[in-house]
Amino acid sequence: MSTVTLAREGLTRLSPGAWLRRLARNYVLRRFLVALAKIYVVVTLTFFIVRLMPTNPIEAYINELIDQYGFTYQEARDQAAALFGLDLDTPLWQQYLQYMGQLIRGDLGTSYRSKGTPVSAMIAKFLPWTLFSVGVSLLISFTLGILLGMVMAYRRESLLDHVLSALASILTAIPNYLVGMMILVFLGVQWKVFPITQMRGAMSPGMKPGFTWEFIKDIFYHATLPIMTYVLTTVGSWMLAMKSSTISTLGEDYVMVAKARGLPERRIVTAYVGRNASLPLFTQLAISIGFVVGGSALIEFIFVYQGIGQLLLNSINYRDYPVMQGVFLVITVAVILANFLADFVYSWLDPRIRIQ
Amino acid sequence: MTEQRLDGHLNEEYILQVEDLWVSYQAERGTVKAVCGVSFNLRAGETLAFIGESGCGKTTLGLTFIRLLPATARVERGRIWYSRGTEAVDVLAMHEQELRHFRWRECAMIFQGAQNAFNPVLRIWDQVLDTARAHGETDKKKIRQRMEELFQLVQLEPRRVLRAYPHQLSGGMRQRVLIALGLLLNPSLVILDEPTTALDILTQRSVIDVLRGLKERLQFSLILISHDLSLAAELADRVATMYAGKIVELASVWDIYYRPHHPYTVGLIRAVPTLSGDRGRLISIPGSPPDLINPPTGCPFHPRCPYTTERCQEEEPPLQAVSPTHHVACWHWEKVIAEGGERMLTKAEA
Repeated sequence: MSTVTLAREGLTRLSPGAWLRRLARNYVLRRFLVALAKIYVVVTLTFFIVRLMPTNPIEAYINELIDQYGFTYQEARDQAAALFGLDLDTPLWQQYLQYMGQLIRGDLGTSYRSKGTPVSAMIAKFLPWTLFSVGVSLLISFTLGILLGMVMAYRRESLLDHVLSALASILTAIPNYLVGMMILVFLGVQWKVFPITQMRGAMSPGMKPGFTWEFIKDIFYHATLPIMTYVLTTVGSWMLAMKSSTISTLGEDYVMVAKARGLPERRIVTAYVGRNASLPLFTQLAISIGFVVGGSALIEFIFVYQGIGQLLLNSINYRDYPVMQGVFLVITVAVILANFLADFVYSWLDPRIRIQ
Repeated sequence: MTEQRLDGHLNEEYILQVEDLWVSYQAERGTVKAVCGVSFNLRAGETLAFIGESGCGKTTLGLTFIRLLPATARVERGRIWYSRGTEAVDVLAMHEQELRHFRWRECAMIFQGAQNAFNPVLRIWDQVLDTARAHGETDKKKIRQRMEELFQLVQLEPRRVLRAYPHQLSGGMRQRVLIALGLLLNPSLVILDEPTTALDILTQRSVIDVLRGLKERLQFSLILISHDLSLAAELADRVATMYAGKIVELASVWDIYYRPHHPYTVGLIRAVPTLSGDRGRLISIPGSPPDLINPPTGCPFHPRCPYTTERCQEEEPPLQAVSPTHHVACWHWEKVIAEGGERMLTKAEA
């Protein structure tokens, strides 16, 4: 929050020169440029790190040709180059420039594995499901966490508080893929609470997307288990954060004064305690959006849910560089955008912080 | 139900009658006796100041009147009769809903350090509206008009302040906003807890002037809690000196300043420099404030008092009337008067 400055009282009229200077210092513009720079750095790092992974798909293919079909190295190499549409003699730095050039034009390249399929089309197909399941989970988890956290703070040191606090700590400590696997094994296979084979995928086969009740019901049905897992593993930290924030807000003078002013308890709980106590959580919320998108890979794999995490996992298995890069780019943009958003939301919620 | 008593000793000319009030806090070391048997009456329209060192129970006393003590505190005994015209109600027996209406509509408490008295995310106007609505006032136009009048009285620019968020106002402005807000519903009793601490000297001056102006124009009784003697001198009709949770002297403001009977009051007055500088040397009261968990036997002030005799250590002096308007709890008040409190000065220098 370093670039967010405190609001100044009484803005004075500005001369044209001052306006220009203000433009240069323009908060939104500056933040935007910083965001672009961050994306550039991550894209560059991803490009090289991906290529540092042991075994690359072309070498694997070349070896396969030599071993199985008795190709000479040169023959195999030409064959591979033709198949992947690559000039294998291009040095890495040239490949890099090429890639960046494409990226600027909005071209993410094509998949190595599913030859000819544009990466952007694959992402467009998988991303919405992740955004849907993760978005709904965050909303549920955040709301639930805030409500339970406040209950814990108001009833602190009661039995309810102790039970909820312990539960929250435990849930926060268990990794999400473990919870996912436990749900799968116990609720799905052992006790058969959920028909997991029916719930596979993002929607039932033959379902027509659209704003119909049927469709909405269906996608929620298929997202139930991933959402359950995300909520279970994230709600604990919201509860604990909200509890401690509420407790410190309850000690604020303005809460005491609000009581002295004879305000109804309901109004104090919502507008005076709740609103102020939840402020710091909104920054965390935005940041966690990015991480949950990144952390969805294993959950989507466990529940066979066709989201971006599934796509990432597959592309890693096949060393499908363009797809991997594309997915990493999406995650990066998600995190950076979320941070960008967090600042605005925060300044909108808290008048003490104003954007200049 | 709240008890109502119209008979006997309850007097209609008093807005507040406090009888034998005891308040204590539960601490790890034991029970802190913060208020020990305080009794006094407050006449309608009168200003009574409570003065004393920090930790003498002044603020606890103020919070007890509107029942906003922290959870660790307990009112052990006592009655606080608040009179509404012809009937009197015991504040300590009020139930939740009744209490909510009593607060601010009948008794407004303006806290020390108004810096954080306002919700930082709501505009002043919204908080004014909150207050009015909580007490059944819904006519926005009327509320606005009343608030603008009050802001003018406390020398604030109504339009700007109503639109502002708390952080856009200075400390002195916030204090004045809180004072104005306190008078919004025309309470008959106002409690001011250290209204000028945390403010710079010039702002203090203007807040004092504002308070005097308000007292002249509007009808309300005022309980002033302060360690600032000059503030008490300017605003109060009567002054009560508190020590170790007890009232040790209660008299008209003139008597307290010019004829203090209790050695502790003498010390308090002499510890403050005067502008003219001719009231003699400055002193500090030797020793430290008493331990409220294990208060001294007898008179609580005896370990620090130059007039101490054996009797002081054994017997606690009651608050007795030495004249119709002057009460003091000291075995040796006559000696103190006769010497003009001279021993307080010599002991301090020794």
